[in-house]
Formats: sequence, structure tokens, C-alpha cells
Amino acid sequence: MVSIYVVDNGGQWTHREWRMLKYLDATTKIVPNTTSWKTLTDEGVDGLILSGGAPRIGLENKLGNCDEYLRKSDIPILGICAGHQFMARFFGGDAKPSKIPEFGKITLTLIEREHPLFINVPKESIVWESHNDEITILPDSMKNLAKSENCTFQAIMHKEKPFFGLQFHPEVNNTEYGEQIFTNFISICKKNQTT
Amino acid sequence: MFKPTAFIKEATEQIQKTVKGKALIAFSGGVDSTVCAALVNKAIGDQLIAVHVDTGYMRKNESKNTKKLMEEMNLNYRFIDASKEYYASLKNVTDPEKKRKIIGEKFIELFDEVANEENIQYLVQGTIAPDWIESGGELRDTIKSHHNVGGLPEKMNLKLVEPLRDLYKDEVRELARELHVSVSEKQPFPGPGLAIRIMGEATPKRTDIVREACAIVEEEIEKASSEKKMTLPWQYFAVLLPVKSVGVHGDKRAYGQVIAIRAVESMDAMSCSFSTIPHDIIDVISNRITNTLGHDINRVVYDVTNKPPGTIEWE
Repeated sequence: MVSIYVVDNGGQWTHREWRMLKYLDATTKIVPNTTSWKTLTDEGVDGLILSGGAPRIGLENKLGNCDEYLRKSDIPILGICAGHQFMARFFGGDAKPSKIPEFGKITLTLIEREHPLFINVPKESIVWESHNDEITILPDSMKNLAKSENCTFQAIMHKEKPFFGLQFHPEVNNTEYGEQIFTNFISICKKNQTT
Repeated sequence: MFKPTAFIKEATEQIQKTVKGKALIAFSGGVDSTVCAALVNKAIGDQLIAVHVDTGYMRKNESKNTKKLMEEMNLNYRFIDASKEYYASLKNVTDPEKKRKIIGEKFIELFDEVANEENIQYLVQGTIAPDWIESGGELRDTIKSHHNVGGLPEKMNLKLVEPLRDLYKDEVRELARELHVSVSEKQPFPGPGLAIRIMGEATPKRTDIVREACAIVEEEIEKASSEKKMTLPWQYFAVLLPVKSVGVHGDKRAYGQVIAIRAVESMDAMSCSFSTIPHDIIDVISNRITNTLGHDINRVVYDVTNKPPGTIEWE
């Protein structure tokens, strides 16, 4: 059994992430973003999702204890929307208000198709978006995996750590390959368990 | 996957553990409250009293049918016609959040009265996940205050029991089928009712207009779907807009109001795409609305917004 917690940054779809994990038979729980890293490790968590949320990462620096998790973790972390932007900022990149914010249906184009997070996801697919801010500078330690017409950094990964970020929302029912991406993230967490 | 039988077993045990004595259920007759009533009835039997409030903002025949439903389900029930009170309390109110809060508080006032008479301590509600998610609180922004969560008064005497809190509509429907609830496939209808399908003041007159328009949209779409001309959308209704536009009626200038038709596809109400209704069906709906409601309505538009950026209802 793999245990993946959802860190709640106040997103509309935080609970959908929890449901997605539950449906895919992961042990899961929604925890507030003020939870300490120690509490999480004491509970033996194998992976984390940093949810999206109303906080404007393009305008604010802080997202609960998400910085502590990124500093201390060796388990896989998937940042979604605000979680994704925060991750890039934490490693030295930047996020700013989007020139053209994306809401609703968007075509995602994968740059890096072979990545474990995108197994069985075609080069182009429909994803659902809802963001006012976006990553403007990707840190050197991270790599871009996907883009859309109006947003350059739709999916990112850390080059050395098992950390990933998605600007779009794989937990939303309208995202075509959302469940597949969750399945892939669960596999990444399982693999990390055994190493 | 969601396992309805396991959920029913666990929820029943949980309800039996928490509810000691009589409970009141807020019964709108929609899928959520009906499933909740069936579940709680299973757990505590005739200790449960269903209360249906006709707010005056219900759809055509809805309260009458809900009364029948409560009888069919052998529930102890109270039927309260509070339409006059609701109309009075929403007089001059145009802000959507104010409408929702007034409606929520009024519900609790009415439930409190019944609770006092019957010596009831628990209020059962069919609250589901989108209700508390969108109502916001702490980190989460308030998208809209659902009457049963964000619309509740700060101080409440009744203890809340909400067994469906972690479920979405598709899961509630699975429970409904398992519990043989007759309204399992009924389309969602928000607690504040037609009041939030009227942009601007929800006067009795404007309520009658939108009620009729909603009935026309429902009848035509259900007819077309039964004739296999389209699949039944997840939700479909009419909205009365606060703008007027110019038209022509029998060689004379008309200056009337606008109805928007909204139909969406969703699974969980947390995202949706607008339905692609065949144009000939839209044509029939538009003609019927502008002819039967011609005195007030001279224009019909179709809403082509997904969620996000829109929400399903307009307020």
C-alpha cells in the first residue's frame, strides 16, 4: 500500500485530488499546509501532493509549510497549480501574474513524452486550467516537460529530486488523461518506496 | 472506486452512534436530501422528521411532488409554506451572496421552530463536497455561500449531521440506486432555488417568469432526449437576466427582458462544459419562451461558458 497525502493550500479541487488517490487505491488524507514535516514522516507518508489554492504565488512568497517539505523531503512531491508555481520559486525561479491567464479547456503539448509522469499520455491532450499566475523563470535545477499556447511551463521536474509540478489540473474530471497522470505519480511513489 | 454498500453500512453505524434522540432533516426532495433521509431513516427509523419548506422559489409543482415523495417514503414529515416570508425577506435584495445568506438563515429559523416544538437536537443535511468547498473558509476562497453551509447563522442550537459531506453527485446517485430512491436521476437544483436564477431582485412576478421558462427548458429538453435527438444534459435550466433589449411585436416596438438557457455536462459539479444542444431544439425552446412569455421576454440567449471560468448557476 502506498500512502500519499494531499497538502491543502485552499484549492477548489483539493478534495478532488483526495478522491482521485482514493479511487486509485492509495492511502490518502487531506492535511492543512501548516502540518509539520515531522508529523508527515511520523505517519510514514510515501508521497505528497501540494494542492492549488487561492494564494497568489505571483504576488506572495509563502505557502504554509510547503517550503519545509521541499527542503527536507526525499519522497516524491507533485505540486499542482499554486503548488507548481511555488516549487519553481522555491528553487530560485519566479512566478508572476499571467499576461493571458488560462481558465477551462486548453490543449497541452508534451515536450518530454518519455517521462514517467506521462506514460500513456499522448503528445497533445485536453486539460483543464484555472490560474491567474504562472512560472516566468524556471530555475536551472528544473526542466520543462510541457507547454500550452499561452503558458510556457505547464509541467516541470527537478533534475535531481523526485519533485514535479503541473500548472494544469489532472484531478479535474474534464482533463482527458488526469487519472493516468495520477496513476503514473502513484507508480513513481511506489518505486521510490523500494529504493 | 466508490463502494455504495460499504458506505451505507459505515454511515448507518456512524449515525446510530452520534444521533441520540430525535433528528430533523432538511428535505428539499432533491437527490442529496432524499438519499440522506433514506440513510438516516434506516439508521434511526421514526425518530427522524423530514421538513420540507416551500420557499416560493421552487420549480413548477416541485413542492407538491416532494410532499408525495415524503409520503411514498413513509417519512414523518412537516410541510411548511413559507413563500410569503421568503418573498418579503428578499425584497430589494440584489446581491447574490446576500440572497444566499438570507435564504440560509430563514431555513434555520423555520427548522428551529419545529425543533423546539418537537424537542429535536439534531439537524440532518444532505450537504455534499461542492457545498462546503465552494462556501470557502480559512485558506479557501468563497466562490458562493451554499445555503446549507456558508448560509448558516454563526450561532446554531441544532447539532449538524452531514453523512454525505465527502461525496460528489455521481456517488450520491450510486447510493440512491442502491437504496432504491425514486429521484436517483433527478437533475440538481440549488437550495436557494429560483432566487439565484433571477439576476437582480427576486420578486414574485420575476419568479413566475423564470419558473415558467425553466419548465419550458426542462420539458423540451426531456422530450428531445426521450426521442433520442440528444442526450440528457447533467443540468439544464433558464436564467432571467437583468437587462432589457429592443424587439418588435406585431409591427410595434417591444422592450423586454432576456432569458438565458443554460445546459451543462458534468460529473461532480466542480467543473463543467456547456452542452451542445441541437439548434432545432434550441429553436423550439426559444419560440416557446418568447411566445408564452412574450409579454415580458422578447429575447433568448444560450450560455456557452464552461466551469471554470463560469460556474453552473449564474449566482
